[in-house]
Amino acid sequence: MMLTGTQGALGRRLVAPLRAAAAVMWVPWVLLGVVGLSSCKSAPPPPDRQAQLVAKGRDLFFNETFAGNGRTCGTCHPAENNFTIDPAFIATLPKDNPLFVAEFNPALRENFENPALMREFGLIRENLDGFDDLTNKFVMRGVPHVLGLRTSVASPGGPRTGWSGDGAPGDGSLRSFATGAVIQHFTKTLNRVPGVDFRLPTDEELDALEAFQLSLGRQQDLVLPLKLKGTVPKRGQAIFLDNRLGKCNLCHVNAGATANLGGGSLGNANFNTGVEDLPDQPARLTAQRVPRDDGFRTPGDGTFNIPPLVEAADSGPFFHNNAIETIEGAVAFYDGDAFNNSPAGRALKKADPRGVGIELDGTQIVAVAAFLRVVNALENIRESLTLLEASLKVSSTERQRLLERAARETADSARVLAGGGLHPEAVAHLQDAGRLVAKAIASGFFKRKHTEEAIREQQKARALLVESS
Amino acid sequence: MNVRVFVLGVVGISALLLGGPRAASAQKTTEQFIPVGQSPGLSGKHTVIGTVQAVNARDHTVTIAGPAGTRSAKVTERTRIWLDRSRMQQPNVKGTFADLRTGVTVEMKHEDPTGASAGGPAEWIKIQIGTSS
Repeated sequence: MMLTGTQGALGRRLVAPLRAAAAVMWVPWVLLGVVGLSSCKSAPPPPDRQAQLVAKGRDLFFNETFAGNGRTCGTCHPAENNFTIDPAFIATLPKDNPLFVAEFNPALRENFENPALMREFGLIRENLDGFDDLTNKFVMRGVPHVLGLRTSVASPGGPRTGWSGDGAPGDGSLRSFATGAVIQHFTKTLNRVPGVDFRLPTDEELDALEAFQLSLGRQQDLVLPLKLKGTVPKRGQAIFLDNRLGKCNLCHVNAGATANLGGGSLGNANFNTGVEDLPDQPARLTAQRVPRDDGFRTPGDGTFNIPPLVEAADSGPFFHNNAIETIEGAVAFYDGDAFNNSPAGRALKKADPRGVGIELDGTQIVAVAAFLRVVNALENIRESLTLLEASLKVSSTERQRLLERAARETADSARVLAGGGLHPEAVAHLQDAGRLVAKAIASGFFKRKHTEEAIREQQKARALLVESS
Repeated sequence: MNVRVFVLGVVGISALLLGGPRAASAQKTTEQFIPVGQSPGLSGKHTVIGTVQAVNARDHTVTIAGPAGTRSAKVTERTRIWLDRSRMQQPNVKGTFADLRTGVTVEMKHEDPTGASAGGPAEWIKIQIGTSS
């Protein structure tokens, strides 16, 4: 996963010429009829039914506009930027990208998006309290990534989707989410008439989109503590798990998106943590109108659901309103007044024998963030290894796609660690792995060799971060 | 001892921390634009689709005749009523209790589907406009 959109763009700029070069390199070999000698030793096995469903969902996610304004799910959840968008990534997009439809479609110029807030802060306009007063009733939210959904959506009270847990119409499930997204974000006009301004996804399409989204990222939670090797990340993990100090694990069990306050898992739960009370929120420093976001339900109760933390370090900005840019800042939020005076913070304080909420000093904040950087890098390495290994078993077109994704994940791993000044030796191995993946992408004959070497470099990097269990 | 007190305290305040009810909460706002019979995961499973058989203005109840028999519901101040004008290629808009007339096609969702047979409160009702009935 990528640390920022700018770096994502760098990754794309790196990959694109390599791909072009690869295409040029292939031509003479095609003419000579020796294509595929290196790694197409046999035809790939036929995909099973679930794999077919996921593949269909992937195609819909990135290509289907549902007869709307040109946006796809991938417009706001691009694979090349960890399935989210941020200002740096947005800055790399061409003017006619459908993300900017409010800038060039007259019917959507007013009350559909706020282009200024979109470009500067990555914020999207949502009408979660109704469409009857578009000028005044709206909220501005960031785009959550869609990684690890299999671990984060379920709760005993039903599925929790979107930032406030109530993002989907119908039965409120992840499967139904796409229907609401099409109505909110894909429409050609503000009339939002099905069959005119868009078409609604069919049942089969909803099945496929759900299957694809559930296939993304982690399929299970970590089991903490990890046997970390880095001194600071190790201390950060200890603080994270200490229910009298960091208290992080109460609401982010195993750095995931479920809560356990001592009485058993609550699944994905909603809390009012006071993010809306933060002073100097970036979007509110502008002259733009940014109404208070009341969160869950209509009218809202001020709560938002729990995002997973494993994927956090490379998918900021953070919180529902993109209020904080860095992972260190996001951890520091819990040491501040906005959190400690919130219903959640006050409850923690009340439950604490010393009567304190969360009090961390600068070194401790950085340590927790270092821990989150390392678990994120480990997840990126896991994903890279999966992609690289899968690339050795598939057809050439699919192989390129997997290698390009592995390149981005590898770059993310290195940047996330380097951004925190962590594990320079591992970073060097990851950079080597990145170079090898780039070679594999460009190579006609030595894809397998470069890929296998990249796998070894990834494994070396991982071994520097954590002891094998 | 302190840790135990802390854990118990945290358990005790979990209800305070947790916002919202213990049930899936769907987004109601985009639901307005979904035509009768197309609500994902709900239509045909947890809603009643049929024609309005009776409206009782005094009790604020509506009786709907559907394929599986008749179902009644109480229309409360929480009940959202929408006019589904998608067949006329017009935007769906909010409706009122007065829009519930005998013979119109509607889709209705009870707040608590398990209490549907007892005529519990309706969460939302979509009234299809542009049908011949």
